[in-house]
Amino acid sequence: MGDVVACTAVAFWLLPVAWIALTSIKPTTEINSVQPVFWGFTPTLEHYSELFQRFEFSRIMLNSFLIVPAATLIVIVLAVFCAYALARLPVKGADQIALFILSFRFMPGMLVVLPYYLMFQGVGLLDTHLGMILVYVAFGLPFAVWLLRGFLLDIPRDLEEAALLDGLGRFEIIWKIILPLTRPGIAVATIFTFVFTWNEYLFAFALTFDRAVTLPVQLSKMIDAYSVLWGPLSAAVILQLLPMIAVVFFIQKHMVRGLALGAVK
Amino acid sequence: MGVLLSGLQKRYSDGTQAVRDLNLSIASGEFFSLLGPSGCGKTTTLRMIAGLEEPTAGRIQINERDVTGIDPGDRDVAMVFQSYALYPHMTARENLILNLQAQKVARDEIDARLSEVARLLGLEELLQKKPGQLSGGSDSGSLWAAQSFVVQRCS
Repeated sequence: MGDVVACTAVAFWLLPVAWIALTSIKPTTEINSVQPVFWGFTPTLEHYSELFQRFEFSRIMLNSFLIVPAATLIVIVLAVFCAYALARLPVKGADQIALFILSFRFMPGMLVVLPYYLMFQGVGLLDTHLGMILVYVAFGLPFAVWLLRGFLLDIPRDLEEAALLDGLGRFEIIWKIILPLTRPGIAVATIFTFVFTWNEYLFAFALTFDRAVTLPVQLSKMIDAYSVLWGPLSAAVILQLLPMIAVVFFIQKHMVRGLALGAVK
Repeated sequence: MGVLLSGLQKRYSDGTQAVRDLNLSIASGEFFSLLGPSGCGKTTTLRMIAGLEEPTAGRIQINERDVTGIDPGDRDVAMVFQSYALYPHMTARENLILNLQAQKVARDEIDARLSEVARLLGLEELLQKKPGQLSGGSDSGSLWAAQSFVVQRCS
């Protein structure tokens, strides 16, 4: 029974994706046919090549592949140290500070997009890779810090004190004891940050127009006032989807929980 | 001369006086027990000797060396935590040699000591296992091994 429910749910979720994948390799005439076509057409890669020829996809994808991993990496590195400080060091009001940091995520992006625009205009960060990385670090950091702090608080203090007695320094403790034990948390934070940043539209739309345009913004350009370019749009959606699937696929194996639970009897 | 505590005090930041003017001398090789009701300051005293807690006042000497302001790792002390505090992501072997590695003991020396202790305690088969895979009894076994390592280092 559970299997049936699971299969139905997966099919329900996958069907639109399959349809998009199918559309992306159909000739345009088949896409626009009144009768839905599931098979029997000659598959074509014309929509994909159109993406690269007409919509500059090699450049746009490079933008996304530069901005998103860079922002994710910075977020995770900063978040580990920040979360460690808030979880372990004698910081006054650590709980309040953590909540305060998270509160930045309560704020709708719409509220700050205009101030961001004006500030970026003032300092020349509009339409730059660096500017987009900064925005995404600012937006990814609060959640990553909050998440990792929770994981760090779960690690028994005894382990760190034992490591202190064993003669390890603070950074060695973070590197050899804390990081391996926080791996599931880091994996979750990485996936969340990557997927959020990869899909982010509002800020990319408002703060870039040519040089630093990312994939989601470029996707939207295939829908204009006169037509929707279904073929290229579907192909672009598939290209947009693949890196996320790859990231989740490679990182999820680190998400095993309960490693730290064996530490304390 | 083993451990010497003179005028040891600990007052926590919330105002709790955990240890008040403790003077104590423990001879080298002496088997010494601290007994008392809970909350009387046993753990605080131990943690101050180990260096995990900084005394508010007073001095701690180990083997005639004043260790009051010295990092725990440089005091040459060991402590058995109530929770065992084995590193769950490391094998028993890695757990045992982390201390020696941190003290920059040579590789050959580490291997020699490890195999000797493992043989003495019959731990050879457990060395590649992680703490979560050990049973309670063998757990304490490897803990004992860890202890004898450090004791050996002190003597």
